[in-house]
Amino acid sequence: MKKTNWTVWVSNLSLPILLIASVVTFALLNDKFLTQINLTNILVQNMHITVLSTAVLILMIIGGIDLSIGFQISVVAVLIARTIKEGILPIWAAIVLGILVCMVLALFNGAMSRILKSHTMIVSLGTMAVFQGLSFLLSQSKTYGGLPKEYQYIAQYRIGGWLPTSAVITLVLVLVVGWFLKRTYLGRHLYAVGDNPEAARLAGLNVWRIKYLAYLIAGALVGVTAVLLSSRTGSADSGMGPDLTFTGITACVLAGVALKGGEGTLWKVVVAVFVLGVLANGMQLVGLGTYPQYIAKGAIMLGSLYLSNRSQKAA
Amino acid sequence: MNVLELRSITKTYPGVTALDGVSVSFASGEVHAIVGENGAGKSTLIKVISGAERPDSGEIAIDGGSHKAMTPLLALEKGIAVVYQELIQFDALTVADNLFLGASDRGGLHAVDDRGNRKRAVEILREFNCAISPDALMRELSVANRQLVEIAKAVLKKARILIMDEPTAAITVEEQKCLFANIRRLKAEGVTILYISHRLEELFEICDRVTVMRDGKYVATKGIGEIDKGVLIRLMVGRELTNQYPAKEPAGDEVMLEVAHLSGNGVEDISFTLRRGEILGFAGLVGAGRTELMHLVFGAAHRTGGTVRIRGKELAHRSPSDALKAGIGLIPEDRKWQGCFVDKPVAWNITVSNLPKISRGLVVDRKKEAALAAKYRDAMQIRTPSLDQLVVNLSGGNQQKVVVAKMLAVEPDILIFDEPTRGIDVGTRYDIYTIMVDLAKQGKSILMVSSDMEELLGMSERIVVLHEGKQTGTLERAEFSQELVMALASGADDAAGCGCASDGTAEAGEGTKD
Ligand SMILES: Nc1ncnc2c1ncn2[C@@H]1O[C@H](COP(=O)(O)OP(=O)(O)OP(=O)(O)O)[C@@H](O)[C@H]1O
Ligand SMILES: [Mg+2]
Repeated sequence: MKKTNWTVWVSNLSLPILLIASVVTFALLNDKFLTQINLTNILVQNMHITVLSTAVLILMIIGGIDLSIGFQISVVAVLIARTIKEGILPIWAAIVLGILVCMVLALFNGAMSRILKSHTMIVSLGTMAVFQGLSFLLSQSKTYGGLPKEYQYIAQYRIGGWLPTSAVITLVLVLVVGWFLKRTYLGRHLYAVGDNPEAARLAGLNVWRIKYLAYLIAGALVGVTAVLLSSRTGSADSGMGPDLTFTGITACVLAGVALKGGEGTLWKVVVAVFVLGVLANGMQLVGLGTYPQYIAKGAIMLGSLYLSNRSQKAA
Repeated sequence: MNVLELRSITKTYPGVTALDGVSVSFASGEVHAIVGENGAGKSTLIKVISGAERPDSGEIAIDGGSHKAMTPLLALEKGIAVVYQELIQFDALTVADNLFLGASDRGGLHAVDDRGNRKRAVEILREFNCAISPDALMRELSVANRQLVEIAKAVLKKARILIMDEPTAAITVEEQKCLFANIRRLKAEGVTILYISHRLEELFEICDRVTVMRDGKYVATKGIGEIDKGVLIRLMVGRELTNQYPAKEPAGDEVMLEVAHLSGNGVEDISFTLRRGEILGFAGLVGAGRTELMHLVFGAAHRTGGTVRIRGKELAHRSPSDALKAGIGLIPEDRKWQGCFVDKPVAWNITVSNLPKISRGLVVDRKKEAALAAKYRDAMQIRTPSLDQLVVNLSGGNQQKVVVAKMLAVEPDILIFDEPTRGIDVGTRYDIYTIMVDLAKQGKSILMVSSDMEELLGMSERIVVLHEGKQTGTLERAEFSQELVMALASGADDAAGCGCASDGTAEAGEGTKD
């Protein structure tokens, strides 16, 4: 009895504790850390990553991993920026187009893994290269800077002078996805299909329809990520996506999302994003540059794998 | 002389006392059966002996020494080997590799001696007198042969106490004979065998003594000569069970399902009809294609020819979800891979096929979910501390009940039961039979695949017999006999001459009558 409670406790609270511990550590190390400006900064810098990690979570629940999402972001961001800059479409239409295109790209990934009967991760290695080429063709290796003020407001406007719109958008999306996964039967179907596809099929679930639904939702979320990111920076180029893939996957792994599918909790993923965000920001403040941050991220990921293995054995 | 003695062993899990002060001793060179209802604690007892689980209290005496708990290493040293209910093997490796994994006599690092291993594997497999090639991949073997490999492995490890958890649950009569011959051989060599089974008849064939458990408690140990099946059942369930099969009302005339010349998925040209309220049995040896046929009817496998009609309406269904919509439900034979989601809660599993029905719009109605799950938990008498318990923590038989409950909750018109009572205790067996008969009475129709001959003969109104993917006969109740079914199932040619209609003839008669 005690043992089980303890394990559940550890697996539920370890992330929040890790978050608090890193906040306290950096607050002690540097007095600029706990200022309003810096905290807002952390928030703003991690909104698009939160949305992206939500997409990764959905894909991992159905038992897949998509390495191409980074370049999907690049394709969509460049596409939107170019259509707006060249005046082809009004801003709202460009955004809708971008998100739709991203859904198509995601669906393409899913369809390929079905047709080729391969694991999504392998398939996405291939499609990643395709999307990479596509985004460079679209951008002609240029950076589309100076996007219109209206577009930048999507992420940067401060409601009441302080609350960033990107935070509101992200919060709404997280709540909706959380509700979808936890409360709706479609969400339940996603878990079933990821947990045991054969049992799900024999239980009369339409496995591929359910998977395609997951790809569509994830695609839309990746599209939103591209909009939030390019709106925050006011520019778009082909190199802006790729790094994010690994941040998103790291956050999910840190949150204990199972690679075999059928498991994963959204709130933990969100907390994990902030653990990584605080770490990046804090290390920067303390004067440790990008490379030590990579090492720290990797170490945290390995450490969390160790912990999740141990709690599985204990349970 | 006792080789092993358990004294007041208690083991609790959250909300469950799996073993409650159990004391029992095992004599050297005996075959000792352990029986009891699902969840009685049999598997847990074994895990305590093998060191897989640590008891909360009590002690284990072996070789004159006494231990608070066993460990897997200590068990190995003492020569205890277990063939588990869920076999743990390396599917992609060969039989020889599986035999020698972890069985090395030499310590430290050394190259794998493939040649020597293979030679010893051939020898040991020959002793077991069964046609298993040491080069076959594990995943190509039948369940029975996998078990034999596991037992051979135990012999290689020089086991003195061999424990088998439901070894006959998933094997055929022939294979069982082979298994028993090997058990007797090992016994003659002085190996003590602990044997768990829900098939009570076979205990009288193979065992010396029987220990009965109920609700985690030790009930009694009897010499097999002192008791009969009735006494045994009474000890197990604590009440009298008179009828083994509930009385069934005769089927109606309306044809619910008509399968004609169905081919694909390893079966060829199968035809049968199923009437309203009928229980139609399917007999055959393992590998005869019964499960494959059921998957074909259910749309879970690719059909190459033939038709399936429901109430006269041609069904072109291509997927299980179509079949389910048309009113056919399948309860699969392999619970772990096909039947359930083991790391999800019981309620989740029972309702997973039914979610849109218990949802308001998109949102799952928690109250309806709990009510539906509770209804079928009660109907199937699933023993679980709560509906939130993960299925993996249930006893084997109770996992099987969850699988059945999941499909019953959908309430299809036609139900396919593939080995419905595998691993299920006598009491609950009767309950499942009663449920099947009740379903039939409500006008549902049932296809039942079973390797348990008594159950087939006792429950079915007609039996279709398959042999190597082909239909070798369709028997009416009046023609039922164990010998006839066996003869048809083994494809014996003279079967046709013994008064039964083979192939399509009975079928044609059936068809015109309707
Ligand atoms: N890991 C576990 N966690 C929680 N409860 C468990 C666990 N393992 C077993 N139990 C519970 O302990 C009880 C005894 O289970 P056990 O597997 O020993 O039954 P059994 O006699 O082997 O039944 P069966 O005939 O169905 O295989 C059951 O109520 C089961 O739910
Ligand atoms: Mg058991």
